[in-house]
Amino acid sequence: MTEPLSILDLVLNASIVVQIVMVILLLASLMSWVMIFQRGFNLAAAKRAAVNFEDEFWSGKDLRNIYLEMKDDDQSAHFGLSSIFTSGFKEFSRARKQKDSDPDAVMQNVQRAMRVAMSREEERLETHLAFLATVGSTSPYIGLFGTVWGIMNSFRGLATVNQASLSIVAPGISEALIATAMGLFAAIPAVIAYNRFSAQAELQVNRCDAFIDEFSGILHRAIYGH
Amino acid sequence: MNVVNATSSYVLPFFLAVFLHLVVGFGVNIQWSSSSTKLFQQDRPIYLNATLVNENPYAAKKRREANERQQKRLARQKREQQIRRLRDKETAAEAEKERLARLRDQLEQQKLREVMQKMQAESPPVVKQNQKDLETERQLMEQGLVEAIRGEQEFRIAVTDDERALAYVGQIQRQIIQNWSRPPSARNGMQALLKVYLVPTGEVVEVVVIESSSNEAFDRSAILAVRKSERFVVPEEPREFEKNFREFSVLFKPEDLRL
Repeated sequence: MTEPLSILDLVLNASIVVQIVMVILLLASLMSWVMIFQRGFNLAAAKRAAVNFEDEFWSGKDLRNIYLEMKDDDQSAHFGLSSIFTSGFKEFSRARKQKDSDPDAVMQNVQRAMRVAMSREEERLETHLAFLATVGSTSPYIGLFGTVWGIMNSFRGLATVNQASLSIVAPGISEALIATAMGLFAAIPAVIAYNRFSAQAELQVNRCDAFIDEFSGILHRAIYGH
Repeated sequence: MNVVNATSSYVLPFFLAVFLHLVVGFGVNIQWSSSSTKLFQQDRPIYLNATLVNENPYAAKKRREANERQQKRLARQKREQQIRRLRDKETAAEAEKERLARLRDQLEQQKLREVMQKMQAESPPVVKQNQKDLETERQLMEQGLVEAIRGEQEFRIAVTDDERALAYVGQIQRQIIQNWSRPPSARNGMQALLKVYLVPTGEVVEVVVIESSSNEAFDRSAILAVRKSERFVVPEEPREFEKNFREFSVLFKPEDLRL
């Protein structure tokens, strides 16, 4: 028929280098979308958890009760503010059990424990963001490489034909340009997602920081109030 | 708050991502194919008769052309003759005038003043009018001739455009005929209509039987004839190629058989 130029034909007829580039880009796109969905769910859950925890924390309940409730829960389920709270409160109650504890040393220990919990939290919030950034910045170049290679080949093919016409080079260029399209297709969502998620992670970290300050203020009052 | 189980948190995202890619891939493919069919839509095919008759198509064409040329020449000759006749008339009128003038001189010489006065009163206006009429008529004729010549030129250009296509068609015909070996079961009155698809380089990409001759061997021989030619000479100009040679139909009928 009149040369049915479907995308599948173009991809299957491409040279091996271009095909490899396409496969790499397809994998990059797939993986970055897996990360995007996973990060999206994860960050949304973290936000929800933080809001729930803050509600509970400021509900006026006894902190000890809250701590005991949380300790009964599955340990691994704690993340975000609650993990900071449990680690800080655990440290605090352990220090209070010792009779001759120096209030300053207790405060320092508690704060250190909370910082450790927070850095672990930060790390978890930012997993995969580096991957998204890499995909976003390199996949256009990979796609461009595929295109340049494909066009190079199709022009080389043109050199051997004595009756040069546009219809000889056009399919080659078309299939080569698919590589660039795929590169952009992988890169654009990755860049958008990277910016969005890093801003959200930053927000969470700030919230944790503020919480640490508030909580250590409360503990400080509890220590020196005695 | 049940997310942190590492592997299970990736299952749903993975399927979502695969689903998204499949949807995008299908969408692009569908959109692509619909737009490309719109791009390559064809207008009507031309029909070639690959009949095995003895007449040489080139000779026939030449005869027809010669005929046309002859007719054109005759027409022009006729027109020229008319003009010549007009010119003759004009010269005759001038001669008449001269004669009259001479006559007048003679009359003067003979001092027949009265007669001469009468002549002066009558003849010169008549002659003048005659002359004017002839002049305008001649101009009109000349204009007509110029227009006719121009029209003829235009027609000739059109004919050469058509001619070129015809030349390619003739060549394709001969190529097919050369490669056609009819099966013994071929009978007069059988005919198979084939559709041939070419690429711009002239290579045959597909041959389809549109109207079968109800004789399989005959159909096969026709397909083989086209396939064996492999490559036809087609116009280099893409517009011409798209118009007539991207796809065309060939009619096979064994007319020279006496069975």
